[in-house]
Parts: sequence; C-alpha cells; structure tokens
Amino acid sequence: MKNIIIPGRRIARELLILIGCVVIALVVNIYAILKYKTEWKELVTTLHITIVLGVIIYIALGIVRLILAGAARLFRRKVG
Amino acid sequence: MNPAATILRRASNGDMKHDSTPSPPVLNELTHRREFLKRLAVIAGSTALLAEMPWWSPLRAAPPGDSPADRVRVGLVGVGSRGNLHLTNLLRTPGVEIAALCDDYDPHLQAGLAKVPGAKGFSEYRKMLDMPGLDGVVIATPLNLHAQMCLDAFSAGKHVFCEKSLAYTIEECQAIANAYRGSKKVFQIGHQRLFHPPYLRALEFARRGEIGDIKQIRAYWHRNGNWRNPCPSPELEHRLNWRLYRAYSCGLMTELASHHIQVANWFLEAHPLSVVGYGSINFWKDGRELYDNVNLVYRYPNGVHVIFDSLISNRFYGAEVQIMGPKGTIEGETGRLFAEKPPPAPGIVQLINSLEHGLFETIPIGGPSWVPDLKKDTKGIVLGNEHTGDDGSYLEIVAFANAIRRNEPIPNMMEQACLSGVAVLMGQTAMEQGREVTWPSDFKV
Repeated sequence: MKNIIIPGRRIARELLILIGCVVIALVVNIYAILKYKTEWKELVTTLHITIVLGVIIYIALGIVRLILAGAARLFRRKVG
Repeated sequence: MNPAATILRRASNGDMKHDSTPSPPVLNELTHRREFLKRLAVIAGSTALLAEMPWWSPLRAAPPGDSPADRVRVGLVGVGSRGNLHLTNLLRTPGVEIAALCDDYDPHLQAGLAKVPGAKGFSEYRKMLDMPGLDGVVIATPLNLHAQMCLDAFSAGKHVFCEKSLAYTIEECQAIANAYRGSKKVFQIGHQRLFHPPYLRALEFARRGEIGDIKQIRAYWHRNGNWRNPCPSPELEHRLNWRLYRAYSCGLMTELASHHIQVANWFLEAHPLSVVGYGSINFWKDGRELYDNVNLVYRYPNGVHVIFDSLISNRFYGAEVQIMGPKGTIEGETGRLFAEKPPPAPGIVQLINSLEHGLFETIPIGGPSWVPDLKKDTKGIVLGNEHTGDDGSYLEIVAFANAIRRNEPIPNMMEQACLSGVAVLMGQTAMEQGREVTWPSDFKV
C-alpha cells in the first residue's frame, strides 16, 4: 500500500484557505445585516450559519481548484 | 412584570413533577409540596399578581404546620370520575384532612373509602353536613344537584368548593350567589384554568397588548367517543351517565363549554349580551337526550363575538381557545402566541432565501394573482415553560384549603362562577328554543 504524505505546509495552506472562506462568509453576513437592516448581534447569534457557509464556500472552491489542477495537469502533459 | 409565569417558574423549580405520579401521599411528597407552597406563598404576595388575579390571594398563605389547629377538615360529595381527581389532590394538599366521603352509589363510595381509610362514609349528604368539625365540602356531583347542595352547605356553615358548572338553572345560580353573599364563607368553583399556567401567561400577554384589543374568540372542544361510563345494569344508566340526560345536565354546554366561556369572560372582562346557536344529535343516536354537537355565537360588548362549537364524533382538532386580536392570536390550551407579523428572520437567512428563490423559483406567467387564505404555517411562541404537571386542579384545591384556614373569601370567584354558569345555560336555551337569548338583566352577582 502506498503511503500518502501531506506536508505541513500544505495543511497550513488549506487551513488558511478555510479561514479565508469563513471570513468571506462573515463579510456576506455583514452585507446581509446592512441590506436587510437587521440587528448587529446577528454576527454572534448566526455564527453557526456563517461557519457552515464558510465550509460550503471552501468545498465549492475546492471543486473549482480540483478542476483547474486537473486541467493544468492535462495541459502540461500535452505540451510535454 | 410577569406575575403568573414568574411565580410558577420560580416556585415549582422541579418540585411539582410529583404531580405526574398518582399515588397516595407519602411524607417525602408532602415535604416537597410544602417547599413548593412555601416558595409560591412568597411570590404570590406580589401586588401586580393580585391586581390581575385576585383569586390567587389565598396562595399567599405559608404552608400549614402539623398542629391540629392548622388542619382543614373537608368532606367530598360525589366520588365519581371528577370526584376521584379531587380526592387525589386533597390527599396531596398539606394540612387537609379528608374527614368524610359521600356518594349514593355504593361502589364509588367504597372505592373512595379504600383510598382514605380514616374517612367516614355517607350515602346522604345532609347527614355528612351534620358531622361535627367539618370545615368545608367539595361538591362533585351531577349538575342538577349542585344548587341544593351548595345552599344546604352554606346553611350548615360550611365552606364550599363546587365543580363547574355552577347550577342547572339561572335561578339556582342567583340563589347560590345570594346565599354566598350572606354566608361570609369561602366559595371556590372548579374552573381550573384560573390556576393553569399557560392561561395565566396568556392573560399576561393579552393585557400587555401583544395581540392588540381582542376582536374575536373562537373556542372548540372536539372528542370522538360516546361519553358514556360503564353501566353494570340498565336501571343505573341515568345515574352513571347523567351527562347524557336533560334532567341532570346540559351536556356539552355545562360540562365542556363552561370552561371556555369562563376563559372568554375572563379575557374580555365582560359577560355575553346574548347568544344564538344550534345543537343536534347527529351521530350518537343511542337514546341520549342531550346534543352530541353544539354550535353557538355569543355576542359581547363592542361587537366582539365568541364562537364555541363542540362535537363528540371527531377529535382531529381537539380542544382550543383562540383569542384573536389585530396583532396576534393566543391559543390558550396549548399556550402559544402567534404574531400577525412575526419578527424577521436573520439577515443572512433572508439573503440565502432570496438567492435560492432567484435561482430555483419558477416565475408564474398568467397564473393566479392571489394567494389562498390558508392557515399560517408557523409554530408561534411558547407562552412560558412551566412544567408543573398541573392543569390548575391542584392549585385550586390548595387555594380553597388556604382560604378556609385564613377564613377569608376567594375574591372574584363567585363572579367567575356565575358569569360562565349563566352564559352556558343561555346557550342551552338558545339551542333548545331556536331563538336569541339575552343576558338576564335582573341577575346580580
């Protein structure tokens, strides 16, 4: 069986991307509060929704990244 | 201020869970109850609470001690289904001694005496009233017997707890009210919703203007069953199934409607001006005389109507009292408030919903331009989270016992009894005579 080694740098990069996604979700929440004129306490009370939204964004981004990486590998193979 | 809910939440603190265990009192349970009543007494002294619900005043009393002077000796007349519930609650009430039981149906009497071995048994209530040392009586008999028993009990100098509805005729209601006025004795009516936490909370919300001015009350009580008790022989039919026969009762009106009409009077702070209605026997055609379905409209001051219906051939909707105002609806039986304009969802939820609708919702072209007025599918707000396990039947007994011990009347109780008692009799007459029946102008509480 082949061992897959994920380097520490890769893990740190993925964590940073996930945190970035949660921050984007937080910004979306701020936009929603301003747009619908609701209360600022929702930043705390809807934190669970923000986190779930962040994870959804991360997964969606992951799919896009996978497609792009696949396309890049295919392109490199054709060129090579 | 949140009088009722605060009281029950702070006072119960888990102790009242013992209510769900229908067992004879044990020392531990009575100790728990004393603790509960002690806390209740402290909080029930609040001025705000007593202004809104003066009949709670006996609950201010600290729980009794063990001295004989603190004991209240009561007799129970009628040990049938409701009587048995009172018996259980009396046994659970600290400082109450069930000195006597009375029932002219011996199997009921013997079953009651088996639960209270020290009590003296009677088959004739007048003999029970003559028993020395008896402080009060609890009357849980067929409706047609209430008036004479109340009058005799007052004459004998006893305090009276009478099951609802008050009496069989309006004249009898008046006679009881008159006798009470002259007696200076305690009177309690078996309208347990006056002591039921969800209703107390509902009243608080209504008074606070959460639903706006009450514009309509719709009440219904639906069951599916023949409403019969097991009858060992045909000659006992009328005695055991008295709720089905006109000589003893007004059936659905006095046994069920009286509760909801009492709530309506209470919330509207008024009595009905008139009533119209129809009733019939359309399902249980088994020899009964009283309607198995009733439909009535009560007219109250300021153009407010109370609509009540009851049937015993379909239980889908169960029982409910819907108190409606322009800003919301309160459902008393389930203790919920439904705002007409509920608070908006959080901004982020609205944004997600908006995106979802934009992406997936089809845009109707040339379709219907109206939305059907179907029931709003909202869960509403729960009115309080008091899990006392009591529908008010226990606290009304405690209030009765405390009032006897303090020898002070329960404020407003006869008024509540008369207003609902008369209103349901008006309803029965309206249905039987097929006419509008107005409030008897000469009736005085």
